[in-house]
Amino acid sequence: MCIQPLLHSRSDTDRCRFRMFAANVGKVVFETRLLVLYPAIPMAFIAHYYRFNRPWIFGLSLIGLTPLAERLSFLTEQIAYFTGPTVGGLVNATCGNATELIIAMFALHKRKIHVLKYSLLGSIITNLLLVLGSSLLCGGIANRNKQQKFDHMQVDANTLLLLLGLLCHIAPLLFNLTSIDPPKLDRTSVLQLSRASSIVMLLAYVAYLFFQLKTHTQLFESQEDQHDDNDKETASIGFWSALIWLCLMTIIISVLSEYVVGTIEDASETWGISVSFISIILLPIVGNAAEHAGSVIFAFKNKLDISLGVAMGSASQILMFVVPLCVTMAWIMGINMSLDFGLLETGCLAFSIFLTAFTLQLLGHASLSNMFPLDPSKFEAAAAPVPVGASSSGATASAEMEQKKEDPEESSEDEGGLMGLFD
Amino acid sequence: MASTEPWLQENGSVKRLTKESRHGHGHSRTAHNKSSSSLRRKSDMTLVSKVPCSTVRNFLANLQEVILGTKLSVLFVAIPFAIAAQYFGFARPWVFSLSLLGLIPLAERVSFLTEQIAFYTGPTVGGLLNASCGNATELIIAIFALKEKKVDVVKYSLLGSILSNLLLVLGTSLLCGGIANLSTEQKFDRKQADVNIALLLLGLLCHLLPLMYRTAAESTTADALSTAKATLNLSRASCIVMLIAYSAYLVFQLWTHRHIFEGPEEEDEDDMDVSNEETPVIGFWSGMIWLIGMTAVISLLSEYLVDTIEEASTSWGISVSFISIIVLPIVGNAAEHAGAIIFAFKNKLDITLGVALGSATQISVFVVPLSVIVAWIIGIKMDLDFNLLETGSLALTIIATAFTLQDGTSHYLKGVVLLLCYFVIGASFFVQISPTDPGTNSMNMRFKSSEQRIFRV
Repeated sequence: MCIQPLLHSRSDTDRCRFRMFAANVGKVVFETRLLVLYPAIPMAFIAHYYRFNRPWIFGLSLIGLTPLAERLSFLTEQIAYFTGPTVGGLVNATCGNATELIIAMFALHKRKIHVLKYSLLGSIITNLLLVLGSSLLCGGIANRNKQQKFDHMQVDANTLLLLLGLLCHIAPLLFNLTSIDPPKLDRTSVLQLSRASSIVMLLAYVAYLFFQLKTHTQLFESQEDQHDDNDKETASIGFWSALIWLCLMTIIISVLSEYVVGTIEDASETWGISVSFISIILLPIVGNAAEHAGSVIFAFKNKLDISLGVAMGSASQILMFVVPLCVTMAWIMGINMSLDFGLLETGCLAFSIFLTAFTLQLLGHASLSNMFPLDPSKFEAAAAPVPVGASSSGATASAEMEQKKEDPEESSEDEGGLMGLFD
Repeated sequence: MASTEPWLQENGSVKRLTKESRHGHGHSRTAHNKSSSSLRRKSDMTLVSKVPCSTVRNFLANLQEVILGTKLSVLFVAIPFAIAAQYFGFARPWVFSLSLLGLIPLAERVSFLTEQIAFYTGPTVGGLLNASCGNATELIIAIFALKEKKVDVVKYSLLGSILSNLLLVLGTSLLCGGIANLSTEQKFDRKQADVNIALLLLGLLCHLLPLMYRTAAESTTADALSTAKATLNLSRASCIVMLIAYSAYLVFQLWTHRHIFEGPEEEDEDDMDVSNEETPVIGFWSGMIWLIGMTAVISLLSEYLVDTIEEASTSWGISVSFISIIVLPIVGNAAEHAGAIIFAFKNKLDITLGVALGSATQISVFVVPLSVIVAWIIGIKMDLDFNLLETGSLALTIIATAFTLQDGTSHYLKGVVLLLCYFVIGASFFVQISPTDPGTNSMNMRFKSSEQRIFRV
């Protein structure tokens, strides 16, 4: 668009370049619904330099982190257009949890191990329960006349990883609980066990990546090509500009994260809520806000595979990658961090994983995720094998039956009572 | 049923057996013995047939078939070394390791012999025989440990057997099978796995209840002696329940629902390097005599093992619980393990699952309660309260395995995860440091042993 004839002056070229730059900035910075939260970022800086009350710094930094996390995911998506689906998926997965990772690194640096543990644990539970729950709820309400299906192989692989991670957390916990010696003497054994388990968890995550991106890609790509039909194949901004913006955003996120981690105790005292509540509930909500919104939107559009991929993939990435990475970094730095997160926390983690696993099990087998399983339109559709009829429920039911024919194995394994109607 | 000299029937060259029959023999027997059969090899009878005297020839052929009929026969030499080491007072850790090595081929031979005897006794009794003697090694080690009042070794070794079957054997099989069959989809029949998981969960419940009871009673500062007595009675009652459940499982498996356990195996029996013979290779009475002899040798080696376990642990620097939970079961299961992997390579997952899950179920619901009852008879106070870490590991193992197997397909990531679970559990027992005090009966002073709790009062 800037190919001007040589006869024009240089100011036109400059104006053209400025227009391009302005368009770039506009796309990256301003094309978001979270625009209103941007002023919090400079206000957080001002608050820090002019030594306002610490809780204000904390609150403003928290609010400022939300749009930045969302823009980060947009930028990684753009980069993914250039690098291809495989590496793009990897980049997306890693940067999706960049905020948690940066907060974790700062907490580790400031030796606030409990904040670190709680924030990571809270991220996992938030992804499994809050994000997944709200997606299923909203998706179910929006699609209550349709059948919502998802592929259970991806969910199974993720749940297996989560169970392994849970075992790696429970072993040090039980170790600490059963020893009759004072815990101080046990520290070495638990540390060694935690460090060995961290290496195991990293190995498992590498195997999962290999599985997902190399050998069994067909399991994970079944829905990918459907969701990009409204996006064009080309990116909105160039590769290098995306990279530069990425670095810039990461720097700002780092600064804000440092403020957050530094002022968390003052905020908790002033607001009268415990540090653990802030770490487990508030921080992850902020860090996951963008993913949360995306997951809910995809559930609305009845694309449950993507919602589940986002939520469970994020949870397993934090559990199997970020947590052992932090333990390994602590090992390198000489800090004693074990995988024992405390009885209440580990119990909550265990129940979250079991609940999610069983819920998705039941849903995966029955292939129903709507809230009203006894929808009468389905009974009528079962009686009409030939897809006739103008009603939307009839058309949808016939589409279901087409799918059933293509997928005989799944119907033979179904144990939900309703599935017998479709045989 | 079969002639006493089957090897002379076909042109002087032997046709080896171990072709599992499909004439109504239970699949459970078939699955278990199929796995070991992959370790057998042809016996070349040409040397023996040159011996003039017929009885000596029969005897030598019998000997060759039994002793040399396995690829593991090279490990047989460890047995006389172990006995010599014990008598001449060699270093105790040597006695331990030689006995360990010697047990590996013996376990495999016992399963071969029970399979031979099963030819004569019919499918049902054969299935029963396999169901009881399939884990003979673990049972004998347990009984000897009970005799020496090492209740913790019993508990740990049996728990380790269950964990090893569910995680190590199953994990490596699924991993190898998944890698070898990357392009094909691996499926198996869920019903067999479901039945086994149900029994395993029953066993888990019977372990959890005494543990929770003891924890609750201790926290309310009740009298420790009466708590211990109540836990003991609860454990003994649970064992009777478990044995009833196991007999129901046997009826289910061998009689009423046999068709579930007999997989679709008729079509591809020819790619194994075995013949289609149904005749056993040795006679009934010779099989019995060999069985009794092998059991006696296993008992001897087990006695050495149990005696020298503390010294081995001290000199090697690893805890007794690690040896009991990890090392002993690997030895006891080595033959089944190899067979399960081979069948997973050939994409016959039903057999692999039959071996691994069936063995785990048998130990959990049969061998453990049997040990408790034997302890009851001898007068030793053994309860079902394995400690918190062990019971927690068992619970998560069963849940992870149940989840892995519930959808009827397999890929290598499942094997990787199960295997890594085993490493983590192994690591958590590896970091327990045992005290260097060979004079005491209980090994881990840092963790309350069940004996100490009861006898301390």
